[in-house]
Amino acid sequence: MATTAPPPAAPASRGRGLLGQGWVAWLFLLPTIIFFIGWQLWPILRVAWISLTDYKFLNTTDPVHFIGLDNFRSAIADPLMRLGLLRAAGFTALFLPGMIFLPMFLAVLIDRIQSPKLSTFYRLILLIPAMIPGPLIFLLWRWMYDLYIGPINYILVDVLHVFTVYSQPQWIGDPRLVFPALAGMEWWWGMGYHTMFFLAGLATISRDLFDAARVDGANEWRMFWDVTFPRLLPIVLVLVVLRFGSAMAVIDEYLIMGGVNRDRPTFTWTVYMWELAFQRPPRDLGYAAAIGWVGTIAMLVVVALLFRIFRTRD
Amino acid sequence: MAMETTAPIAAAHPDAVAVWTPRRFPRWQTVARHVVLALFAIVILFPIVWVLIMSVKTLPDAYQNEIWPAHGFDFAHYGQALQQIDTLPRNFLNSVVVTLSTVVITTVCAVLAGYALVHLSMPGKALVLAVLVASMFFPTRVTAIIAIWEVQRSLGLINRTWGLVFPYVTLSLAISVFIMRGMFETVPKELGDAARIDGAGPVRMLLQIMLPIVSNGIVVVIIVNFVAAWGEYLLATTLMNDLSQKTLPVVLASASGGMGAWVWPRLAAVYVMAILPGLVAFGIAQRWYMKGLQEGALKA
Repeated sequence: MATTAPPPAAPASRGRGLLGQGWVAWLFLLPTIIFFIGWQLWPILRVAWISLTDYKFLNTTDPVHFIGLDNFRSAIADPLMRLGLLRAAGFTALFLPGMIFLPMFLAVLIDRIQSPKLSTFYRLILLIPAMIPGPLIFLLWRWMYDLYIGPINYILVDVLHVFTVYSQPQWIGDPRLVFPALAGMEWWWGMGYHTMFFLAGLATISRDLFDAARVDGANEWRMFWDVTFPRLLPIVLVLVVLRFGSAMAVIDEYLIMGGVNRDRPTFTWTVYMWELAFQRPPRDLGYAAAIGWVGTIAMLVVVALLFRIFRTRD
Repeated sequence: MAMETTAPIAAAHPDAVAVWTPRRFPRWQTVARHVVLALFAIVILFPIVWVLIMSVKTLPDAYQNEIWPAHGFDFAHYGQALQQIDTLPRNFLNSVVVTLSTVVITTVCAVLAGYALVHLSMPGKALVLAVLVASMFFPTRVTAIIAIWEVQRSLGLINRTWGLVFPYVTLSLAISVFIMRGMFETVPKELGDAARIDGAGPVRMLLQIMLPIVSNGIVVVIIVNFVAAWGEYLLATTLMNDLSQKTLPVVLASASGGMGAWVWPRLAAVYVMAILPGLVAFGIAQRWYMKGLQEGALKA
């Protein structure tokens, strides 16, 4: 594609300097820019425009009108939208601590392993779920939590006898259990991947620091909080921001595990937007786009706040 | 118990004393560490092993919940699934074509862009970087799905599997460019200067000199994009209508287990066929993947 740039004779190209090269550089960036504008930047701008209109896809005879912020006003007042945001926040609050502290704990354990072979072995095992695409993970766990063939309830009921067939936890069906069940699944999925981030951070900490602390008589617990944790903090903060954003905008999990039932906790603002746009006649694209933007803006505001708070800490 | 198991080993080792004495904390911590890690490893492996076993269970065993089957194994489900669910080979092919195209296109884009952003001087570099970073915090796939659907519709790509490639490329494009940029930054500028004096143009410099150095990063980019495209669900389910046009994850997600052609072991067999290519590829490429992560792909 962009490899057509003719390699000019060496002395000439050196002589021409900046101008010639800048042009070539943009040529190298061209494929990226085409995809980026076509399927990322333009859709974002376009969906912003749609949110300001009364575009209903199935009402083909009605002309589309610009209606200003009407959709946004209705979206902010919409009880289902508020509930949807709250539900997403509930899941995020449950999911986030585990997704940070479990991998940190694992990384500290793996970092101390002396044998390079064993350490690589643990890393590889932990990374296996990261090699399975998300939606396939969600399917696997839908079966894990299944009431009839799921091994989790088989172990709880038939092996450990903690529950009976009648009292067994309905992981996905029970509105109180579905978020913990989903969070457990997400931890299983992301644990190894996030552990790698912390391991990379731990590798930069000088061993001398631990030895010095040890000479001073610090125990493991003190050493973790005084030596290790402050140095991992930047990674923690980055992960908090990244995972907060991704958890608030979760949709595939909810569609695969919960469908589009408005009464279920998995019906968050993302599912609401998708349902309005693609499922429920008259496919009110304008309103759905506004729902999407309100949710996204709410999320981005918190992300920006987190950034500010974390910046001032340094 | 922990002390008993480690003490003889420590004593048997010739350097045992030297290793042992300066340590302030006892060996049982080492054992506890391995026990905890082994537990986590079991938790990670259990669901995958379970689905592997499920895929080779006989039908009577499949509906008994015992994890280890009582009536031996039945490997026929793999063949049966591909024969008896008519669209399945097609869905498989759809996923393969879409994923391969996405991986190839994104990798080429990311290599070219990463190289240009580090080793070529260009105006507006800071702007490009800022826009790419900002895009990584924006949930485009969710918020802009209505407009992505519209773009695809105006190009006549609704219900055309290969059309999925376009939105799929952008799924991980920004992060891929950043991974490659991180990799190219590890290549000393002097190398580029030396090559330029020898008369190498930017293209030759990239292909012959830089590419071998950043190859581990390319492995990381390939894996990241493979995982993103191979399992993508939301766009695939929104943009495809006909069963024959759908990709594997969408078909699997809509299959209700235990019914008709989708008896549990067969469903599990299809699942194993869906995750195996990725796991095998990872098994082969993990050496370079780990190296790539260490060399700079992880620099957040």
